[in-house]
Amino acid sequence: MSTQNKVFRVEDVMLPIGEFPAVAPTMYLKEALEEMERSRLGIICIMDKEGKLLGILTDGDIRRKLLHYQKPFSVFFIDDVIDHSIKNPHTTTADMSLSGAVDLMEEKKIWDLPVVDGDGRLVGLLHLHPAVQALLQHQ
Amino acid sequence: MLKKVIEVGYGSVQKVLIGDTQPLAFITGPCAIESREHTFKMAQSIKEICDRLQIQWIFKACYDKDCRSSPDSFHGVGLEEGLKILEEVRDEFGVPVVSDYSDPAWAKATGEVCDLLQVPAYLCRQTSILRAGAETGRPIHVKKGQFMSPWNMKNSIRKLESFGCDQIILADRGTFFGYNMLVNDMTCFPIMAKNGYPVCFDASHSIQLPTSMGNISGGQREFIPHLVRAATACGINALFMETHDNPPKALSDANTVLDIQYLENVFGQAKDTHAMRLEMLAKYGEDNVHPE
Repeated sequence: MSTQNKVFRVEDVMLPIGEFPAVAPTMYLKEALEEMERSRLGIICIMDKEGKLLGILTDGDIRRKLLHYQKPFSVFFIDDVIDHSIKNPHTTTADMSLSGAVDLMEEKKIWDLPVVDGDGRLVGLLHLHPAVQALLQHQ
Repeated sequence: MLKKVIEVGYGSVQKVLIGDTQPLAFITGPCAIESREHTFKMAQSIKEICDRLQIQWIFKACYDKDCRSSPDSFHGVGLEEGLKILEEVRDEFGVPVVSDYSDPAWAKATGEVCDLLQVPAYLCRQTSILRAGAETGRPIHVKKGQFMSPWNMKNSIRKLESFGCDQIILADRGTFFGYNMLVNDMTCFPIMAKNGYPVCFDASHSIQLPTSMGNISGGQREFIPHLVRAATACGINALFMETHDNPPKALSDANTVLDIQYLENVFGQAKDTHAMRLEMLAKYGEDNVHPE
């Protein structure tokens, strides 16, 4: 199908579960950082056993924590990842228009949006790069 | 933050609740079981003191001291005889008892008698020790190793939890400060308490000068009262103190055990400091001067 007339939805370009880091709240921060490094994304999602999104942690959050809490790295590393996460992150839904989601990312100055279903369960992650790429191809 | 209250005591003994806003609990006794007669004498004297102060206590004495510096030092009366004596103390005084165990193979028998099992500081990260203790179903008192940071004690907790134990007390007994020297970092109590389990201060071992006397450890017991007041004000839930009726003749830790003639004084100060701490908690709330 030509992309010329397509209205992109978030679900068209979001990273599915398994292709971005999503971990348990009690994972040590050090392990969470390793997950982020492996994924080459600046975000990690935290979810409970039922898959509900509990929070996110981004590169920026870590920068701010390091400046606010001047404790040794060894103390940070053994903290639970949830302790340093943003508990009420901005989210989107899979059926939202891609342009609307990108507008939200622009408004909030963020690079990633967790995608949740009606029950708050994590279903994907919208990363800015593929979103922009899809919209550029559409033009 | 969830603050767990640990119940120590099974059967007909006086149960001791440790944690959150419970009264300060006291874990006390001679370092080692020297004999049946001496153990009973100590238990009787401690009971009288604790009754006068109206404080809840757990009797502590070990059947095997596996961490002595010298092969010639008193090692203990052994597992079988020691547990028999502890069981008799339990029955006679109606008080919970605790002993440490230095070998995973000793855990099961220890758990069949003792209300609380204690993991020695040097062994606090040994998986086999922690697993064996957890499998007894008894609460576990883990001393922070002198080589451990308070935040890394979370690893020991995670191990115990993974083996099914969620009745844990963490204690500080000092941290190595160079050679033959310990120091107490009072921030260790709020750091360890962040795990949600009660925290304890081991006063008599904190003033130890490890192996400073060649083949035995020295100590500076003159500092016990200062450290007790400081630790209690920092929010501990239990105070651990080894005591003896004749410290120079004690068969284990002679340089660190508190002479029992001072026990009532120190315990009284700890009880009062803890009560003031609870009053301040009610009046001013939890410490939170640098929120996230």
